[in-house]
Amino acid sequence: MRRSITTVGVVAAIVALSACASGPTATTAPATTAPTTTAAATETAAADYSGATLTVWVDDTRLAATQAAAKAFETATKAKVTLVKKNFADIQADFTSQVPTGKGPDITIGAHDWLGNLIQNGVVAPIELGDKAADFETVALQAFTNQGQVYGVPYAIENIALIRNTELAAEAPATWDDALAAGKAAGKKYPFLIQVGETGDPYTMYPFQTSFGAPVFTQNEDGSYSSELAMGGAEGEKFAQWLADQGKAGTLDTAITYDIAVDAFAKGKSPFIVGGPWMLEKFKDLKLSIDAIPSAGGQPASPFVGVQGFFISAQSKNAIVANDFLTNYIATTDVQYAMYEAGQRTPALKTAAEKAASDTLTAGFAAVAANAVPMPSNPEMAAVWTYWGVTEANIISGKQKPAAGWQKMIADIQAKIKK
Amino acid sequence: MTVTQTAQTTVDALPGQRRKTPQQWLRQLGWRHLVGVIAVVYAAFPIVYVMSASVASGGTLTGSNELFATVSWANYATLNTTKFWMWMGNSLLIASITAVGTVLMGASAAYAFSRFRFTGRRAGLTTLLIIQMFPQMLAFVALFLLLLTFGEVVPSLGLDSRLSLICIYLGGALGANTFLMYGFFNSVPKEIDEAAKIDGATHAQTYWTIILPLVIPILAVVGLLSFIGTFGEFIIARVVLQSEENWTLAVGLYGWVSSQLDANWGQFAAGAVIAAVPVLALFLFLQKYIVSGLTAGAVK
Amino acid sequence: MGDLKPPAVTGKVSAWNSQAFGVGFIVKLVLMALVNALGVYVIWAAWNASSWVLLGAMVVILAALDYVYFTNRYTIPGKYVAPGLVFLLVFQIFVIFYTGYISLTNYGDGHNLDKDQAVSAILAQNEKRVPGSAAYPLTVVFQGDAFGFAIVDNGQVKVGTADQPLTAAPSATLAGNKVTAIPGFSIATSQQIFANQQAVTNLRVPFSTNASEGSIRTQNGTIGYLYKSIFVFDAAAGTMTDTEKNVVYTASDRGQFVAPDGTALPTGWRVMVGFENFTKAFTDTQYSGPFLRVMLWTFAFALLSVLTTFLLGLVLAIILNEERLRGRKIYRTLLLLPYAFPGFLSALIWSGLLNEKFGFINQVLLGGMNIPWLTDPWLAKLSVLGVNLWLGFPYMFLIATGALQALPNDIKEAAKVDGASPLRTWWSVTGPLVLITTAPMLIASFAFNFNNFSLIYMLTRGGPRFADTSAPIGATDLLITMAYSVSGVDGTAAKNYGLASALSIMIFVLIAVISGLGFRQTRKLEEVL
Repeated sequence: MRRSITTVGVVAAIVALSACASGPTATTAPATTAPTTTAAATETAAADYSGATLTVWVDDTRLAATQAAAKAFETATKAKVTLVKKNFADIQADFTSQVPTGKGPDITIGAHDWLGNLIQNGVVAPIELGDKAADFETVALQAFTNQGQVYGVPYAIENIALIRNTELAAEAPATWDDALAAGKAAGKKYPFLIQVGETGDPYTMYPFQTSFGAPVFTQNEDGSYSSELAMGGAEGEKFAQWLADQGKAGTLDTAITYDIAVDAFAKGKSPFIVGGPWMLEKFKDLKLSIDAIPSAGGQPASPFVGVQGFFISAQSKNAIVANDFLTNYIATTDVQYAMYEAGQRTPALKTAAEKAASDTLTAGFAAVAANAVPMPSNPEMAAVWTYWGVTEANIISGKQKPAAGWQKMIADIQAKIKK
Repeated sequence: MTVTQTAQTTVDALPGQRRKTPQQWLRQLGWRHLVGVIAVVYAAFPIVYVMSASVASGGTLTGSNELFATVSWANYATLNTTKFWMWMGNSLLIASITAVGTVLMGASAAYAFSRFRFTGRRAGLTTLLIIQMFPQMLAFVALFLLLLTFGEVVPSLGLDSRLSLICIYLGGALGANTFLMYGFFNSVPKEIDEAAKIDGATHAQTYWTIILPLVIPILAVVGLLSFIGTFGEFIIARVVLQSEENWTLAVGLYGWVSSQLDANWGQFAAGAVIAAVPVLALFLFLQKYIVSGLTAGAVK
Repeated sequence: MGDLKPPAVTGKVSAWNSQAFGVGFIVKLVLMALVNALGVYVIWAAWNASSWVLLGAMVVILAALDYVYFTNRYTIPGKYVAPGLVFLLVFQIFVIFYTGYISLTNYGDGHNLDKDQAVSAILAQNEKRVPGSAAYPLTVVFQGDAFGFAIVDNGQVKVGTADQPLTAAPSATLAGNKVTAIPGFSIATSQQIFANQQAVTNLRVPFSTNASEGSIRTQNGTIGYLYKSIFVFDAAAGTMTDTEKNVVYTASDRGQFVAPDGTALPTGWRVMVGFENFTKAFTDTQYSGPFLRVMLWTFAFALLSVLTTFLLGLVLAIILNEERLRGRKIYRTLLLLPYAFPGFLSALIWSGLLNEKFGFINQVLLGGMNIPWLTDPWLAKLSVLGVNLWLGFPYMFLIATGALQALPNDIKEAAKVDGASPLRTWWSVTGPLVLITTAPMLIASFAFNFNNFSLIYMLTRGGPRFADTSAPIGATDLLITMAYSVSGVDGTAAKNYGLASALSIMIFVLIAVISGLGFRQTRKLEEVL
């Protein structure tokens, strides 16, 4: 996997360089319409930032692709780009604590559901994408928008879907019962694999929850979430009851963690697993098909969609250089495609996404993403996840009664949010 | 290995008798061997499990129950493609310097507590122990801000510096280890000091040339304990060290498994196995200092 | 006892007496010179960086060190304790006080900045592009010290600065979209632009004399858009006004801008809140309930850990201390294996071994039983103690071996001569002596296990969760892991570093008091024996 990243990175760098150098139809931009990207590209290609150092935080998977863009940027503008590799799990907290001191990075990668928290901590700056905004998938841009301001440049859209081993199950199941029937008919150890763990996994369970009509918050027209919990009520209780039934039947099991589920599916012990593109590299030997998640409650099952992108620090001393790097190098087809190759997640830029859709598996995930809902990004979510997951796990394992446990969870979350 | 003779005599051993009968051997030594072997199995089987996971291909933490089912050195090979050896170097550097510093500063402090009479002597030692009980894992914010302030003035003492990590660890030098050494120093008779003083030695000369060589065993023990403690510490190291090149082994290995989605258990197991080697090597090297020469008189 | 006089002493006597300025003195001089040089450098650097606290502290420390090492009156013990004490003061004691200071603030999520930064953050977040604003090709110019923008609006060049709204500049020359010359201004080169990026990006050039039309702003130095600040900050009155919705937010003393109806702007700043963090731990109903349970378990865990590891270590030390036992060295090295592994790695591995359905212990050693080692509350407690036993017995084994070997043989011989059985010798003679030597280590081990964060966190994350409370606390949570999750540091709630600091101080006080009492007891024991 690493070898291919480097090769792709090199290829992407070469392509990106040639794209910067040539630049197609360079029209002279009339003043009232926005200048074309190429005019901007040729202008910044001439910009001289020698002496400026841009610090970018990345993690393992995006390092190679960002390196390609960074090298192209360095060659074109003589700026220096320092990539600092960090653990993804540490980035949000470290960014929040270091930016106010003035010692933080200029740019960092991140997930869109951090946005509410980053804004409340005042560490990200809005970015003006101008004309480029229309080049991104709507859901990606929406995820990075808060109160009408865009706060970053997205590069990947990720969501879960049903991954089906076509050798063990010939057809895509429409409902949960169909899936179970097909799973049992396959005769393997697990009819259906889904990761739960001791503390639950509400993210992976969410499509089933929405199929009962119980989304977490109510959604406004523009796609953003209100702070009103919508998963209580009768629909939520039905979902809780379903969880309890599946737990008793053994199809949902808190002993199945991510590792165990992935390992079992890779070894062919089940025809179905609910997961995301990050799992695909473990299933290289299998013949797969990506399908929509079967509905358990009658309504369509919409999973969460997570968008990843680059944020600019609010205290960056290199705002112009950073802006240039993001809008003219990261927001290009080649770099976005290179990131896709490294992380297997659908690119956020429309042109790169089309290119990536030539891979059937990616196209499958993208098709499911069309019906997905963005994860809520308000800061209160941190508290919600914990209660949510633990309650689901307890209901599955039988430690809590479904209706009572679910209601208690709603009450606890509401109390926490009010504070 | 020089083993001092503790005068243990059993009723049965007659002078000149070398060989024992099997029964005698069983009664006196055999059962000890049995206990030893059981204890070693108990101590080592998780390590064996990790070793098996490190040579298995396609590792998950719980998927490698068949011990040594497959043996491939691929995981060890991939270690070379990561910064693992850089982390190992960092860890060795930091742990060694910290151990040396801890031993030197702790020994001199223990000597002072043991030999000199000054106000606050009695309470001082327990105060030192108690101060070290402060839970630093929640106090990392203060450490972070402190290092930021330092970093503005002395760049090499700021965040993301191995030097600042060493200094933080040296802040813990006076503590339990000092107490350990204090007890040992107390067992070195004061007559030696007095004899040296009569012969014209200054207190520093006495300390460095006479007393220290006598307490080498405890210096070795404390050095080892300090090395082990620093080598495996990751909570503070994670706060201080930011860039990957500066990470210690603990931080790097933790990073490999903290991300659920990218966890690479086989590689992690390989790294863990290699991580145990320096400590064991150090212990083997120090063994002869630790167990020999522990003669000194009374416990107090 | 007093018959140990190393022959080395006599050899050195002549050396000591012959030299007036010995090697030692020269070494001391060199070292002190280095220390002083370092100290002076730090003082000078602190002066340059205007870091007064550091400067003052360094001056005091340097003066104290010089006094200790160059005088002889009362400072001989000081010479030995000074280096360690300096590190202790700076990196432990000061950190404790600083933590105390932080515990009096509400530093955390939502109060991450200081007030000025919060104000500019709010203003920046609410500066919105005027709907329908065109993208004006922009050139950065400057006049004297101030930067300005020259834009191309409908083919016409306009120029302005922060104080002077955009006015037409008909005599400006254009090359494509870039202004190459403009009277009264100089064109900024890209070097100049990026050397002053913050000035350029902070510059707002009013579009016209009518302020409500907005101002031009650029984020990349080549394109400008029309922006309007929705929020206006009145420094004198301390209010932030939302001009769109006509709401006035006043700065509260809790570090937020609050509207009359109670809603607050999300971005806030840190303020001192006094002892509120200390009382919150007790008054928060979510946590005060299980608090007692967690505290009891913490005590029990620490105590039992020390007991079990010490017993096992001691027993093994006694059994394997027999010097006729061949392979003692091998046993000792192998028994050190658990201690040699970094602790958190072992905890992670054990969590896999103990997995209910797939763990090695259940599957292989117990032949397929599904014992819920980590998911049943009591079994989880047992597992945690078991893993800690595995992790901790080598240390105790090492210490016990040392203690045993340091025992005076004459006492044991005396007891034997008096006719005591081995067990009796142990009970009345050897045992207490070993206990006294190791007692401080046991107390230190108790304190360590009281705060044994990494073991619990890696093994069970504090689980299995209590089903009857709503707080995310579990059966194996220690006070410290509970504090970790309460204060949100683990990411499961809004981070509150002030609360985390307060909790760490409370835990510290608790363990310090207990240990202090413990030490007093052992001292009494020492005196009795």
